[in-house]
Amino acid sequence: MSRLLSGNEEYVRRFNLYRIIEHILLIMLFVVLATTGLVQKFHDLSLSRSIIIGLGGIDSVRHIHHIAGGFFVVLTVQHILVVFTGIIFCKWPPSMLVTYKDVLDALHNVRYYMGLLDSPAMCGRYTYKEKFVYWLILLVGIQMIFTGLFLWFPVGMTKYISGQIIPVSKIIHTNDAMLIFLLIAVWHIYDNVLNPEVFPLNKSIFTGYIKKRRMEEGYPLELKELTGAGNEEAPEPGPDPETGR
Amino acid sequence: MERLITERGGLRALVWMIWVVFIFCLLFSPRPSGSQTADAFEDNEYCLECHGKKGLEKIFSDGDSISAYVNPMAYNRSVHGSFRCTECHKEFADRRHPDRVFSSSFQYRIKASMLCRDCHSEESLKSRVIHDDLFKKESAGEAVICTNCHIAHATVQIASGNVSTSEEKYCLGCHSHDNQMVFKNGEFISLLVNAAEIRESAHRNVGCSDCHFGYSSEDHPRRRFGSERAYRLSSSEICRRCHFNKYAKVSESIHYSLINVGRLDAPTCIDCHGGHPVSSPGRDRLSVVNKCKTCHDDIFNTYSLSVHGDALINMNNKDVPTCIDCHSSHSMKDPYLSEFHNYIPDMCSNCHSNEIIMGKYGLSTEVVKSYLSDFHGLTLSLYKVEAQKRNWSDKPMAVCTDCHGTHDIISMSGADLQVIKDNLLKRCRTCHRDATENFPEAWLSHHKPSLRFSTFVFLVDKFYSIMLPLMVAGMLFLILLQIWRHLVNR
Repeated sequence: MSRLLSGNEEYVRRFNLYRIIEHILLIMLFVVLATTGLVQKFHDLSLSRSIIIGLGGIDSVRHIHHIAGGFFVVLTVQHILVVFTGIIFCKWPPSMLVTYKDVLDALHNVRYYMGLLDSPAMCGRYTYKEKFVYWLILLVGIQMIFTGLFLWFPVGMTKYISGQIIPVSKIIHTNDAMLIFLLIAVWHIYDNVLNPEVFPLNKSIFTGYIKKRRMEEGYPLELKELTGAGNEEAPEPGPDPETGR
Repeated sequence: MERLITERGGLRALVWMIWVVFIFCLLFSPRPSGSQTADAFEDNEYCLECHGKKGLEKIFSDGDSISAYVNPMAYNRSVHGSFRCTECHKEFADRRHPDRVFSSSFQYRIKASMLCRDCHSEESLKSRVIHDDLFKKESAGEAVICTNCHIAHATVQIASGNVSTSEEKYCLGCHSHDNQMVFKNGEFISLLVNAAEIRESAHRNVGCSDCHFGYSSEDHPRRRFGSERAYRLSSSEICRRCHFNKYAKVSESIHYSLINVGRLDAPTCIDCHGGHPVSSPGRDRLSVVNKCKTCHDDIFNTYSLSVHGDALINMNNKDVPTCIDCHSSHSMKDPYLSEFHNYIPDMCSNCHSNEIIMGKYGLSTEVVKSYLSDFHGLTLSLYKVEAQKRNWSDKPMAVCTDCHGTHDIISMSGADLQVIKDNLLKRCRTCHRDATENFPEAWLSHHKPSLRFSTFVFLVDKFYSIMLPLMVAGMLFLILLQIWRHLVNR
């Protein structure tokens, strides 16, 4: 386990550089895709029209959206390939898989938040909330990739499928976009920015390190597993893109 | 004594000679004018004993007749008022009244016109350009009748103005006759103006010189045009003096652009509105279509078979659009420009979004809305926003007419669905060349998704409309719970 001392605070390594860069790229693509997509969905708003004009017109907006979509496809495909390769060939623990314990943790925490229990659930490397956000973004993202391709190439796609796939794709694509936007804007931002436990910002995905105190509160099982290895002074292990360990 | 007698005899002879000369001079000297007027008055009084009474007629061999009545007051005010009747009507001198026979009133008037030429020489008449055309006619063998313009017994001095009770009456003095205006290329037009048409026209309260600026009872400038078309184009410029707003629109229209590049057959104001019988074409919608038909015959034929044209022409339906409802009446744009093409949905929506009109025919007013919410309509509406900042996008975007046709729009009700689908595929392929039979299904044909139409689309839409609010509500609930617990812990 890698540790870092900053003042009186002890930090623990949580994400490696690969994950940090991947997350930054995802943020950039999300901003571009959400901006250029939502202005099309809410095209009647004056703000949307100003953005469209500012970006050079609706054709330019769509062009930017398509390019960003192309990068999103690349990012998603490489992520899936890296994860599968890592789990199968490098024996990475599948820490993002949803387990029965996650369901129990969620129910436990609901009861805790309602005041029925005294302590929150003991989570591992990723909490049930983080897994929920991850899987929702991954699955909805894949769905958006396909529906986006249908909308981008309607003539080619309708050679093989009924034409009704186009209006259906439009509904799915735009509603998925709203789903992800709200998930990020409401849930993810609250959890990592406005949440009193991390306020003003959970910086671990940008720095790669997390406060040990925060680790004890949020990921006690992960910390226990790390400290249970009994080698706190061991050198930082080689790059493990999935787990960062 | 003898000498005295001889001197007395010479003096007497001299006195006699003076008397003879005096009497001779008295007899043969010219009469003073006052005496002449008095005589003329006396002479005319004699004629007017009969001709001053209304009802007297001159009957011709062909049965036609003219009034032989002379208005004494009008005659006395006329330029010829100091003349004896017999100075013109010489055959009637010395109170003779020969019985003359004329085959027609026309022949009589020709004969009467010859009298004028006794005093009014050809040179003096030619000094007025207005007579040029008449002399040309005359040299071509046609009869010229002075009284067509100059009223026979009420001729007024031209230079004095107010020659007639109204300008219209004065102008019609000549223009009620079929005189011609000849152009340099040999073309000619009739200068005949139908007074009844003017009285029925929109300009019934407008004076002749209000339009024919520069022309008056005192002035009649001579203008020469190369052709009839050049004259008509020039005449249309008159309209802008009053209708400048319309003229400004026309000057930016496709018709005016064509004229500017030498297509002189493109229509101007009077080609559509007419010259003297000018009217507002909008009053009679069928006449609008017929006016456009003059040049756009092939389009008229197509339109007449369309659902709109059939209703207008065969049923005189006032709700269907005519040419100007889509192309506008004055500022008509080039229909091949994107600037025109992209406003077609707005044109169609004028009627197809109107619940009162559509309600009469059981048609939905949602068609424009459904178009604007789809890809093409949405893109087009954004192109319009962009066009306010920069030029129109060159990318063509399908509008109503690209699927329904332009002038050949057919009714969708009762039409064969397969025919419509096949036609739609053809139209889709105009832009989407590789489109297959599945492709037109991407368009929901203006239908709002429901369990009956586009069921799958409807169900997916419903799923999201329920799931999204539930998810957001769930997230907010959990966040609030978490905050509440945090506050309790503190």
